[in-house]
Amino acid sequence: MAKDMLLPKDPRYLKYPLEGPFDEEKARWTAFNCSRCSVCKWVDSWRVKSAKYARICPQHTKFMYDSHSAQGKCDLALALIDGKMKWDEDPEIKDILFQCTMCGGCDAMDKSVRDAELIKMYRWLRTEYVKRFGPLPEHKGMLDSLKQYDNVWVQPRVKRNSWVKDLKDLGIKDLNKDKADVLLFVGCTYGLSDELKGTVVNMAKILKKLGVDFGTLGDKEMCCGSPPSKTGNMGEFERLGKANIKKFNELGVKTILTPCAGCYGTIRVEYEELGEKMNFEVLHVTEYIERLTKEKKIEYKKEIPISVTWHDPCHMGRMGRPYVPGKDLEGVYEEPRNILKNIPGVELVEMERIKEYAWCCGGGGGAFTGFKDFAQWTAQQRLEEAKDTGADILVTSCPWCETNLRAGGIGMEEKMEIVDIFDLMMEAL
Amino acid sequence: MENISRHEKHNEIFRAFESALGKGNVKDNPATVNAYFGDWLPPKILGQSIPPEFVVLPNGTMETQTVVRICNRYKLPFVPVGSNQWSLSTAPTLPGTVIIDSKRMKELIEIDEDNMFAVIEPYLTVAQLHAEANKRGLYIGSPEASAQSSALAGHTFQGLWGVAYRLGVAFRNVLGMEWVLPDGEILRTGTFSMDPDCGYWGKGPGPDLRGMMRGYCGALGGIGMITKMAVKLHPYPGPKVWPAEGHIPNMTTTMPKDRFHWELIKFDDLEGAANYMYEVGKAEIGGVVQKWPTVYYNWWWANSNEEYWTEWQKRTFQDNVKHTVGTCLWGFTSDEQLKYEKRVLEDIIKDTGGRRVKQEIYDMWIPRAANNWIRDTNGSRMMRPAGTFLALTLASDTIRSSVNLVKEGYKRVEKFSPPILDCDGPDWIGTYDFSHFGFAETDFPVEKTPEDIGDLMGKLLGMVKEDLQNNVECGIGPFLGGPYHGMAGPVFKYDKLLKGIKRAIDPNLVSNPPHNIPMED
Repeated sequence: MAKDMLLPKDPRYLKYPLEGPFDEEKARWTAFNCSRCSVCKWVDSWRVKSAKYARICPQHTKFMYDSHSAQGKCDLALALIDGKMKWDEDPEIKDILFQCTMCGGCDAMDKSVRDAELIKMYRWLRTEYVKRFGPLPEHKGMLDSLKQYDNVWVQPRVKRNSWVKDLKDLGIKDLNKDKADVLLFVGCTYGLSDELKGTVVNMAKILKKLGVDFGTLGDKEMCCGSPPSKTGNMGEFERLGKANIKKFNELGVKTILTPCAGCYGTIRVEYEELGEKMNFEVLHVTEYIERLTKEKKIEYKKEIPISVTWHDPCHMGRMGRPYVPGKDLEGVYEEPRNILKNIPGVELVEMERIKEYAWCCGGGGGAFTGFKDFAQWTAQQRLEEAKDTGADILVTSCPWCETNLRAGGIGMEEKMEIVDIFDLMMEAL
Repeated sequence: MENISRHEKHNEIFRAFESALGKGNVKDNPATVNAYFGDWLPPKILGQSIPPEFVVLPNGTMETQTVVRICNRYKLPFVPVGSNQWSLSTAPTLPGTVIIDSKRMKELIEIDEDNMFAVIEPYLTVAQLHAEANKRGLYIGSPEASAQSSALAGHTFQGLWGVAYRLGVAFRNVLGMEWVLPDGEILRTGTFSMDPDCGYWGKGPGPDLRGMMRGYCGALGGIGMITKMAVKLHPYPGPKVWPAEGHIPNMTTTMPKDRFHWELIKFDDLEGAANYMYEVGKAEIGGVVQKWPTVYYNWWWANSNEEYWTEWQKRTFQDNVKHTVGTCLWGFTSDEQLKYEKRVLEDIIKDTGGRRVKQEIYDMWIPRAANNWIRDTNGSRMMRPAGTFLALTLASDTIRSSVNLVKEGYKRVEKFSPPILDCDGPDWIGTYDFSHFGFAETDFPVEKTPEDIGDLMGKLLGMVKEDLQNNVECGIGPFLGGPYHGMAGPVFKYDKLLKGIKRAIDPNLVSNPPHNIPMED
């Protein structure tokens, strides 16, 4: 063969275009190179364990039409970019683009056969949609809250600090005044939800038991920017992201710890898009605890005879690492499992769909606030899968997953208790 | 009817579908239908396909029958789709087309463990059926198009999955069928004709009607829609859960060593490889016997595009697996069987002058890629290096003729490069039914541009026509469906039969015309 025939003449085929912002050209590349293989709709074939739990995409499973799959969104993107369809031609464009939990299931499965980033394409599509028509009415309240309070839950800033006030004797530092190497970034949902307040308290106590010198930003903490980033409101994402990076750098902390999967994935992966230098590492609290317990064993005092199943939050797993073509889609998978296995009496039983091929809880991508029925239907599918394991409880570590799974479980006949990993740990301590 | 406007007629048809299927189960909006006219190859890229007018989701045979009757009433072409994966013929080309999407027909209705068969609906994938069968110690093959394809549709098509060498190509495993004919009549074949709940036996009263839907590449939607099928399952000596390890994209599978054993045996030339394949078949051993082209090794192995092209430039596979046959021995009945087959294979290797590939190459390929021929997951990697792939020659005949055919294929590849990219000898020769026949295909990466694909498709069509003028069937033609049969039928004198069948069951010519044969006359 002649030398000039060795490689494709268009270098874009040689290498996935990673450099630079994800723009229209990259979106078109991603859409055009969809081969309609349907990998995006199913759990990787080697990981399918039953007919019942073979699906990966909540949107496609629920709405069935191929337009509501990654393949359909590639078709739609191509039509919109090439001018074959107008953005205002069909009101259902909104549902196709936004009635999706942005869980990354399709994106992960797709990466088994090609180099592409579907979630980045979805975010680009949503951003373009919002540029033309403004934020979705369903997301308007969340955005107004961010602008006014820097959180998504329409809560006053001072409330963020309420859980720390009860723990004065623990010596949790206020990093607005004090210095520490570790910043605990609690996130809007853990920080402001009355229901989840106890979990944050337990987590802080565990960190202290392990001797961690950490502090918080108290009422100065701002949203990580995940909700606007996922719902096409990039201006708001940039405002929050850049402010957070600046703050973290100014504090001089070495490590940002967060118990929230959404914050974790956003800070770790999406902040890279902002082009700011970040002088810190980002860890999920379970990662950090597992790292510490390799050196210093946690002494559990109580046995908890219970079987548990672990739900992998999308943003801790397949969405929690920057994409490098050819490299494993790693995530925080083993750390929480190791923690659970070490709690005396706890038996871990796995669901069929786990790790990068886990079924989403339904709460992400703006679905929780914008499309409740769909979000809760997705949760019910997950709860049914959890029940099929025979486990007594479902354990996870994401406030969005916990809240949405609980909401989804309300209408179900057989209940499944949802427990945060830090609450379970604390019970044994 | 003639007096009503097109818009009114559209609305009337919409209401008819909605009345039959329920709200939400018919759509006609641009954003939905836009997802149903793409194809993995030329039609959309070359501007030959158009969006359908409706997409409908019937649930079960009776609703499908109603949809088909509505299509007949309004003389609307319809296209039945299974998983809609790598679709060859489901991109509409005629205005007013109705896509019959099988998403609501997704059930594994039954697995009869004693009699080793399953009853399936169209949207059940091979991987789903595989997983359920494996739990019960049973097996179903997996096409190289990946196991997320429809198991039912796969059984109406080529069905040349790896273990078909031992267990028979997929269409030989079809038992009873429930089938909505193009005119809306329901045909039940095999024992379904006597008992709609029992399909264990493929034959029934009268002639065997399975031939209607088969042929080399199936009927491509031209003879109605099969809504239920009973398929054979086979004894499986593997684990109940597929033993995958690692994370995407770097997953591996190691099958139990006491029941499965892979060999990669290299020969000096293709003839040597063919002799070996014959001898393995004559000895009636093995579960998979495949001679893959070097591009396959790289396609299935590489975890990224960069890895593909880097490894290709290093010539890792080209220099080590040329004329190599992959053989997987299965201890179907016991580990003793596997030991016996290993001994027999050792003699065959010696007698045919084969030699094992380097251990490092074996270790690279086997865990990451080879077991895709038992359950495929990475078939779509074929698209990655250049955007798509094409085949120029392809045929089912003897193993010997396959060798000749791929050599002819080399010449064509040389002639048309570029846009065909560097692909070494693109000679896939699979053997099936204990080497009773060989399947040959020349596969290579092609840049996914309208110019390059259009150019190659034009050449391919020219080759098909030239072959037909010389009374030769080159094999790739049947993949074109109706248009090919329109050209080849008169040459090989089967056009009257196909047209007679089409006329009898599709009087309004609504079932995915021009498939299975054009009826212009």
